[in-house]
Amino acid sequence: MLKNIQEWTLLLCIFGISALFGNWLGYEIAPLSAVPGMIVLILICLAGFILSDLIPIQFPSVAYIAIIGILVSMPWTPGAEYIVTWTNEVELLALTTPILAYAGISIGRSWADFAKLGWRTLIVASLVLLGTFIGSALIAEVVLRFQGII
Amino acid sequence: MAADKAYGLWKDWKLHVVVLGIVIIAESIGQFSFTIGPGVVLLLPMLYAIIIGLIVFFTPFISEKQAKNAEPLIVLGVALLLAKIGVIIGPSLPEIIAAGPALLLQEFGNLGTIFLALPIAIMLGLRREAIGMTHSVAREPNVGLIMDKFGMNSPEGRGVMAVYIFGTVFGAVFMGLIAGFLATLTPLSPLSFAMASGIGSGSMMAAASGSLVGSFPEMEDSIVAFAGASNLLSLSTGLYLSIFVGLPLTEKLYAFMMRRKERKNNA
Repeated sequence: MLKNIQEWTLLLCIFGISALFGNWLGYEIAPLSAVPGMIVLILICLAGFILSDLIPIQFPSVAYIAIIGILVSMPWTPGAEYIVTWTNEVELLALTTPILAYAGISIGRSWADFAKLGWRTLIVASLVLLGTFIGSALIAEVVLRFQGII
Repeated sequence: MAADKAYGLWKDWKLHVVVLGIVIIAESIGQFSFTIGPGVVLLLPMLYAIIIGLIVFFTPFISEKQAKNAEPLIVLGVALLLAKIGVIIGPSLPEIIAAGPALLLQEFGNLGTIFLALPIAIMLGLRREAIGMTHSVAREPNVGLIMDKFGMNSPEGRGVMAVYIFGTVFGAVFMGLIAGFLATLTPLSPLSFAMASGIGSGSMMAAASGSLVGSFPEMEDSIVAFAGASNLLSLSTGLYLSIFVGLPLTEKLYAFMMRRKERKNNA
C-alpha cells in the first residue's frame, strides 16, 4: 500500500510537471501560480486511489476521484472557494494534451491491428461513435428544452 | 487499476522526457480552426499530441517497452483530469441537479449507434460481426460482455474487437474533430453535445468536450461539468445499459433485418 502511494505520487508529479509546462506555453499561466492548484488535484487523485483500495466494493477509482473533487468544491463545503480559485489556474486543456501524448505513444502498439481493419469496419466504427454522440445530444436537447434550461 | 501491478514506471525518464517534448511542441503550435460550410473544425494541441506521439512510436526514441509503460500513465492522467472535472462540477452542482433528468435520459442516446450503424453494417454485407460492432461504443466493459457471451473467436467477438481498436487509435481524434464541428453546424445547444461527450471513455470525453470548450469558451464551466457528469454516469451505468437493453435490442433488430432481407431475396 505504502509502495503504491509512493509510486502514484511520483507519477502524478511527473505528469503534473508536463501539464504545467503546457499550461504555461498554451494558456500563459505561470507555473508558480498553477502549482497550488496542481497539488490540490494530485491530492484528490491520491485520496481517490486510496479509497478505492480500502473499500472492497467494485467501483472505478476514477469515479471516487471525481466524487471527491465534487465534494471538496461544493458551495456548501467550507474553504471550497480556495480549492476553486487555485484549481482555476490549471487549464482543463493543459491536462488533456499530455494524456493524449501518452495515448499516442501507446496506441502505436495497436497500429498494426488498426492497419489491418477493412474499409467496411472503418465506416461502421465511425458510425458507431457518431450514432452514440448524436443520439445522446438529441435526447439531451429535447429534455433540456422541455425543462426550459436552454 | 492498471498502475497497481507496475512499479518503477517513474524511472522511465526517456518516456516522460519525450512526452514533455511533445507537450511543449503541441502547445507552442497552438489552436487553429477552419470552416467547412457553416461548421468550424477546431485543431487543438491535444490532437497534435496524439499524432506526434504516434509518429514518435515509430522512431528509435521509443521502444515497445515504453509504449507499454505509457498505458498506466494514461490512467493517471485521466485521474487528474477527473479531479479537475470534479472541482468544476462542484461549484455548478445546483445547475447539474437541475439538469438531472436530461443527464439521465441522454444515456439512452448511446443506443443511437444501433439504429444508425447496424443497418449500414448489414447493408455493407457484414453479418454476425455487426452485432458485436454496433451494440455499444465498444469500450472495455462492452468488450468483456461480448467475449463472455459469444467467446473470443466468435464473429461477434471479432466485431467488437475491431471497433474497440478503431476507438482506441482513432476515437479521440474523431470525437475531437466532430464535436466542435457538429456543435457549430447544427442548431443543437453546445450543452446537449457536452452531455453527449460522456460516452464512458476518458480520452474521447476529453477530446470531445475540449473541442466544445474551444468553440464556445464562454460556456467552459457548464460544458465541462455536463460532460464530466455524463461520463461518470456512462461509466457506472453503461455496462448495464448494454446487458439489459443494447445487446438484446441489437440482436432483435439484426434478426428482423435479416428475415426481411431473406424474404426479399426469395421473392
